[in-house]
Amino acid sequence: MSFPILSAIMLSPGLGLLAVLFLPRENKRAVRWISLLSAGLSLALTLYAYAVFDTTAKGLQFVERVLWVKSLGIYYFLAVDGISLPLVLLTSIVFFTGVWTMWDLEKRVKEFFALMLLMVLGVYGVFMALDLFFLFVFYDVSLFPMYPLIAIWGSTRKEYGALKLTLYLLAGSALVLPGILYVYFQSGLFSFDLMEIAAAGLPPSVQSLGFLLFLFGFGVLAGLWPFHTWSPVGHVAAPTAVSMIHAGVLMKLGAYGVLRVGMFLCPQGLVEWSPLMATLATVGIVYGALVGLAQTDLKYVIGYSSVSHMGLVSLGLATGTLGGVDGAVFQMFAHGIMTALFFSSVGHIYDRTHTKLIPELGGMAKVMPRASFFFILAALAGIGVPCLASFWAELLVFINGFQVYPALGTAAVLGLVVSALFMLRVVQRTFYGEKNQKYAAAPDMSAVMVIPRALLAGAILLFGLLPRLMLDTIQSGVAPLVELFK
Amino acid sequence: MDSLHTYLFVALLLFCIGLFGLLQRRSLIGMLISVELMLNAASINFLAFNRFLGPDPAVGQIMVLFIMGIAAAEAAIALSLILALYRRLRSIDIEKARELRG
Amino acid sequence: MTAVAPGSTIVWLTLAAMGLPFAAFLAIFFVTRPRLLPSLVISLACSAFSLAVAWWLLIHLRGIDAPLMFQALWMHGGQASIGFGFLLDPLSLVMLAIVTSISFLVQVYSLGYMAGDPGMAKYYSFLSLFAWSMIGLVVASNLMQLYIFWELVGLSSYLLIGFWHQKFSASQAGKKAFVMTRLGDLGFFLGIIVLLLNLGDLSILGLNSQAAAKLSPALLTASAVLVFCGVVGKSAQFPLLTWLPDAMEGPTPVSALLHSATMVAAGVYLVSRLYPMYAASADALAIMLAIGTVTMLLASTMAMVARDIKQVWAYSTVSQLGFMLMGLGAGSYFAGVFHLTTHAAFKALLFLCSGVFIHHFGTNDFFDMSRQGARHLRIPMVCITIAGAALAGVFPLAGFFSKEAVMGSLAELDQGIWLWAGLLGALLTAYYTFRLLFVMWRPLQPLQDKQSNPGHDDHQHSGHSSFGYGVMSAALIVLAGFTIALGFLGDKLIAFLHWQRPPQIPHHTWLLVTAILVVLVGIALAWWEFGRRGAAQEGFLRRFPALETLFARRWYLDDLYRRLTDYVVYGVFSRLCTLNDRRVVDGAIDGVCRGTVGAGWLLSFLQSGLLQYNLFAMVLVIALVGIYFLLL
Repeated sequence: MSFPILSAIMLSPGLGLLAVLFLPRENKRAVRWISLLSAGLSLALTLYAYAVFDTTAKGLQFVERVLWVKSLGIYYFLAVDGISLPLVLLTSIVFFTGVWTMWDLEKRVKEFFALMLLMVLGVYGVFMALDLFFLFVFYDVSLFPMYPLIAIWGSTRKEYGALKLTLYLLAGSALVLPGILYVYFQSGLFSFDLMEIAAAGLPPSVQSLGFLLFLFGFGVLAGLWPFHTWSPVGHVAAPTAVSMIHAGVLMKLGAYGVLRVGMFLCPQGLVEWSPLMATLATVGIVYGALVGLAQTDLKYVIGYSSVSHMGLVSLGLATGTLGGVDGAVFQMFAHGIMTALFFSSVGHIYDRTHTKLIPELGGMAKVMPRASFFFILAALAGIGVPCLASFWAELLVFINGFQVYPALGTAAVLGLVVSALFMLRVVQRTFYGEKNQKYAAAPDMSAVMVIPRALLAGAILLFGLLPRLMLDTIQSGVAPLVELFK
Repeated sequence: MDSLHTYLFVALLLFCIGLFGLLQRRSLIGMLISVELMLNAASINFLAFNRFLGPDPAVGQIMVLFIMGIAAAEAAIALSLILALYRRLRSIDIEKARELRG
Repeated sequence: MTAVAPGSTIVWLTLAAMGLPFAAFLAIFFVTRPRLLPSLVISLACSAFSLAVAWWLLIHLRGIDAPLMFQALWMHGGQASIGFGFLLDPLSLVMLAIVTSISFLVQVYSLGYMAGDPGMAKYYSFLSLFAWSMIGLVVASNLMQLYIFWELVGLSSYLLIGFWHQKFSASQAGKKAFVMTRLGDLGFFLGIIVLLLNLGDLSILGLNSQAAAKLSPALLTASAVLVFCGVVGKSAQFPLLTWLPDAMEGPTPVSALLHSATMVAAGVYLVSRLYPMYAASADALAIMLAIGTVTMLLASTMAMVARDIKQVWAYSTVSQLGFMLMGLGAGSYFAGVFHLTTHAAFKALLFLCSGVFIHHFGTNDFFDMSRQGARHLRIPMVCITIAGAALAGVFPLAGFFSKEAVMGSLAELDQGIWLWAGLLGALLTAYYTFRLLFVMWRPLQPLQDKQSNPGHDDHQHSGHSSFGYGVMSAALIVLAGFTIALGFLGDKLIAFLHWQRPPQIPHHTWLLVTAILVVLVGIALAWWEFGRRGAAQEGFLRRFPALETLFARRWYLDDLYRRLTDYVVYGVFSRLCTLNDRRVVDGAIDGVCRGTVGAGWLLSFLQSGLLQYNLFAMVLVIALVGIYFLLL
């Protein structure tokens, strides 16, 4: 057996967690360094895995499969394909940059990083596990640290936000678990192995109900309209790195769940419910942008833009075509990086000015040129400027959305104009114009703190200029999947 | 007259009286007495079943002896609890002892 | 079609000419921005290289008889695969030469114009970004690549319009330009999708050769019209024309480069690029003709009352773009492209001359400039006169020939109304151009001291160095040369554009005479009102205040759009969605939460703390269960 690289990726935050737990509370420096090192380790391993991943081969790679509980059919089954690998890469990038961004945190440093490491461990687990039991366990492991992370370190109505988010997500889990058990028993295999269940196939009626459970269960986390209102509130309340991971990665868990569990196990269910899903997604796209127009809080704006962008992911998935699902997965990646960059820049502005209300800011481009540059770059990516990563994703989603549902596709494209309007409005009000003298002396990012943001910006540009770096990988995973919808 | 049903009927009557007392009395002593009545009803049942149905005559009586022993212990603990409560509240009315406010 | 072998000189040079401006953008923006000199050197060197390659290609390939194409796979997903490459044919070679020339001249000119501006390095990086995207657009081998660079051009336009973004109006204008063109691009994008889904091939050669044969007429017209929506946005045609005048908030060289000569002409270029496809749909051509005509007349009327020199040229640009589309819509590929070429030269010249005045006098109002002694700046005054005469269509300048070509194509149409509209447009053009020129030459009340008025200042300029004036003048003189010479190259151009087999173009002597007369009438009217000694310098429109306000307010189009966005988008949709989010969605959730809490509160009454109630309930349940089983 070769080196278990996936376990190594997953366990590097685990090791970091253990080390942090045994450190004394006062030694903040060591806590930060260990967190950063474990994040860096997982990033390096992921990059290696991404480099050696064979894009010509179809199916799973880096498989690790060990029987865990025989009587229940639970396996420790880790593997990645072209769908999950980009998301693992996304997680490691956002994790690394998130830890770096929170370097200056002073309040309860040990607990903060411990919870963050635990959460990322869970996220890695979800993206790699192909056993329903483990997938669900990791899913909940990644969700529950959100509550303390927001309620303790957050701002702006943090208890309300944390509670709302937790309740919503648990309600989602409450649909996912019955879904998993339903599929488990109906398959008659007494195995939680996702691949086995998929290979055996499920009866159409089971697929129909199962898909609905997974769609709404995971869809809550993906910000599927109308179950989205937790996300802006949660984003606003959360501290910077948590917003980054939350909007950048956790929302993708939901979409990934719909894709990996819902669509993979219940392809007939997708075919049956695709119109519903596409409609909800399109409403979300336009609706998110329209609500974003009326917001005055920077983080709310980003929160609603996330709703709109995650709608694109759902629309792409709903088409069930090769290009559509390709686009959806690419959009998950691109949106994750972009939102992380958004929150990372807003976090800096908020730390220095203690406000994120758009009318109070203004002229920030002169005050903080670096932070402004990163925000504006993310905004441009958000409105689909070509040669930035999300353009290609949106392109694919729109083409396929239009092909399968012409009316909905047209409406979704209309959302592009609204999103351009609201993003540029925010950029104009916040960064251009006369500067507010109150904040004229607020310091810009230091050169060290530019690095994580530059990493994110670099990823946006790199995959925007050379989309095949990512699309080839994605396609190798999506191509076998879409065969199921024929 | 000397049938199982007669004894069972008496036991049932005794049990119901005890139950009624337990539900109706607000005084802890009264409730304790009611519990004792119910225990006695159970004893009568044991004896009656043993007398009419059991092959071995001793088993039922052993059970009754156990019950009496347990009842005595229970009474001792209950009375000491009641005493402790009385010292705190100057009353043995359970209305006064509740702290849950629904 | 000839596919060029990868690795040949042409491929390397063309790819380098395409890529170097982008490299310059990255290098300046991320590395050398704090230091001015290296930034300028990088930008100018890359620009000069592209210029050299463009002219070398034009000369080297002047005799080609088949397009050269090179393409590599850029992205693929599902049925959409997008190539990146270039397609060199006469049209793109000509356009490439125009774009790189004006781009280079503007970069040289900006050395003087932007001197002393703290953001000068950033300005040059944006100019390089624009050069990259515009070159990419011009040589794009397929429609998707063209769209991508089309959007990037829009981005650089946004960045450059809002270059002085501390001014609210500048950032507002940038936003408006981006959103309005985006609105048009929506149609363009949908058109591309329709073409992609129905043809499966987006290469420009493929579209031109197959679209007419493979698509049903309705579908062909629909996709052609959808693509044309993008043109309406980008070339500021009716009804999306109001962003262009606002775009004049940008630095004047930017207006010359993007908002007159090249970027806004990209719309016309797109139509020319897909001309065989458009020619197959008579309805699409008719729509184009109608929109071009309406735009041309509307914009000319707006130009008649503007007092801001850049506004006049902006309206005139809109109007001339409409004129080009009229030529294309009337069926003459050559006329549209020819007018595009000459217009690029003289309109860039007009803007650059105006830039010198603005720079020098610190005002945009040409009445004011004139009062401060604009006529003493000889070189720009002569150049602006040449360019203005070319715009008005005075023989033998460039504009005369290209306008003649467009008029000739209009005369071929069945309905005379288009020709009359064209002649009316020419009349108005001559009038508003010479109104401006006469005012500039003949100040009403000349000021003695040349005190500049800082109130209208376009930007912060520190001193007028003779170097700056010299550099700017050099650019002007080169462009003036083009303006004079280009008109005589019409025959060469028509042969080149049609692969050395030019179509017969009928000549109408009566039309020639009429057109010259119309222009003369326009000039005479302008002279009577503004030029003659003792003229009041008030247009005849002053006597129709309602009409004047209508023109000055841009036919109330802007008010209409503002109301639409304020009341419909913000007031209705956005508000309703937000309310829905707060009240309905969140309300429902909070309702569920309150319901849960309330239910708990109700149930808590059962937990009275009195043991006997619980006991009673227990007994009751046991009894009920007992009864149930007994009765069973």
